[in-house]
Amino acid sequence: MADITLPQSPNVTDGSLYLDGIPHERFAELRDTPGLLWHEYDGGGFWAVARHADVKTVSKDGGVFSSAVGHTNLWDLEADALEARRSLIDTDAPDHTRLRRLVARAFTPKNIRRWESTIREITVELLDDFLAKGSGDWVAEVAAPLPIRVILSMLGIPLEDADYLVDLSNYLVEGTAEKQSIPPDAFGNTTELRLLPFNSPASHALFEYGEKIGEARRANPQDDLVTSLVQAEAEDGDRLSGSEYRNLFHLLIFAGNETTRTAISHGAMALADYPDQWQRVLDDSSLADSAVEEVLRWATPVLHMRRTTTEPTEIAGTSIGAGEKVVMWYASANWDDAVFANPSSFDVGRADNPHFSFGGGGPHLCLGAFLARLEVSVLLEEMAARNISLTRMGDAQLIASNFVRGVLSVELAAEART
Amino acid sequence: MTETTPTDEVGLAVDEEKCIGAGQCEMLEEEIFLIDDDMVIAKVIGAGKLPRDRANVVVERCPSQAISIIGGDSDVDADSEVVS
Ligand code: HEM
Ligand code: SF4
Repeated sequence: MADITLPQSPNVTDGSLYLDGIPHERFAELRDTPGLLWHEYDGGGFWAVARHADVKTVSKDGGVFSSAVGHTNLWDLEADALEARRSLIDTDAPDHTRLRRLVARAFTPKNIRRWESTIREITVELLDDFLAKGSGDWVAEVAAPLPIRVILSMLGIPLEDADYLVDLSNYLVEGTAEKQSIPPDAFGNTTELRLLPFNSPASHALFEYGEKIGEARRANPQDDLVTSLVQAEAEDGDRLSGSEYRNLFHLLIFAGNETTRTAISHGAMALADYPDQWQRVLDDSSLADSAVEEVLRWATPVLHMRRTTTEPTEIAGTSIGAGEKVVMWYASANWDDAVFANPSSFDVGRADNPHFSFGGGGPHLCLGAFLARLEVSVLLEEMAARNISLTRMGDAQLIASNFVRGVLSVELAAEART
Repeated sequence: MTETTPTDEVGLAVDEEKCIGAGQCEMLEEEIFLIDDDMVIAKVIGAGKLPRDRANVVVERCPSQAISIIGGDSDVDADSEVVS
């Protein structure tokens, strides 16, 4: 095991750092130091991987850099907790391959394109409501409801439950920050918190909801994602166990909205802060795609993911033992000037933009990447169609998390200039 | 030995055990890859050939390293297969 004589990384895990944005100088120091630096962490330090190229190396090699051992978050879980909480994201091949294929079909670029008109309807309604008010909390009014309504449509969940599920999702995010506002027995939870995703009683509620809707679809199949999951479970328990179903449902709800919400929130802030860049998009529709990618890079909704080595290995000349934690800092890779010219400028025309907002290109590459892209893309298109200009009315309230770049609220004013 | 050039045509194959159905390949090259709707595994369809530099991009973008380049490189076949 690594000891304290190793060259030490600057602290990048203190959640409060992120209240002022990504600590770019600290990550630059990490990137500029040859080899890897060791980062102390309560409950077991880790190797901090900060360069774009090194993040890719780790991400691509799921055999050496495991997602199933330990945990994919910074802290380790006890074996029983890891089992109880295990979802797609915490598996290696061949389990990962089996689970991923159960949901992959719905998320291929071709199949995602079929949701475009649904996404557009939802987006137009939210945007027009926001415009009618003239100003408000962009997160609550647009960024949060948009992705949750989309994923609920895909799953086949009634929209009247959207608010409840957004609330649950908010509590889950809190679980990644230092303090939770709900008691352990909230929502009638009796499970030990350490056995629940995000240590949050809201996970219990989400599991229950998943079971309920799963039962309804088992009895009365529909053409939706929940039905295809419960059918996989019913046909053959080997394809999807009960616990896998619960955790997969949970992952789809959470991953499908929290991250996209964050992208849409930071994206809108960037468009308000850099009106000249937004003007470029308005003037030149050929920048539509590169603008989407730049919003995703700029937002970097997921700051890091962790892997654990299964055998001794080496990254950037630094030897790493077996069973050690390796943390890929997407928040750093996306600002690596070896790959991005002027990484600290928001440039909607950035031609080459291999950002790692969806992960470093390995097998856990975000399942929802095409869906999230399409959501951001439709939003920008509809904003452009209305020639909307956004202005900041106040500071954003960010969450104190080193894991997700959540935005609690941000007051924006919107004006349609047509 | 024949020089390889970035525009040599090479064949592509998908390892069914490794493919996770992520669809990156299908998005990049719709004429060549098709995700089988039942198996959720990418299949190579049509001629299944691409210029080498493009093939390298596709191989590199596959998240599960399921795509490999077959043939091409050096031999006589490669020349005789270039028809157009
Ligand atoms: C802008 C929005 C999004 C961002 C930035 C994002 C980010 C990420 C990242 C970084 C990972 C990689 C985890 C790892 O390497 O271990 C991931 C995985 C995943 N994402 Fe997303 N995500 C977004 C939207 C979505 C959406 C809309 C869904 C839809 C359901 C989704 C579902 C998933 C799932 C299921 C995984 C696990 C994949 C696996 O382990 O094979 N995400 N996401
Ligand atoms: S990109 Fe790779 S994993 Fe994805 S469908 Fe194609 S072959 Fe399969």
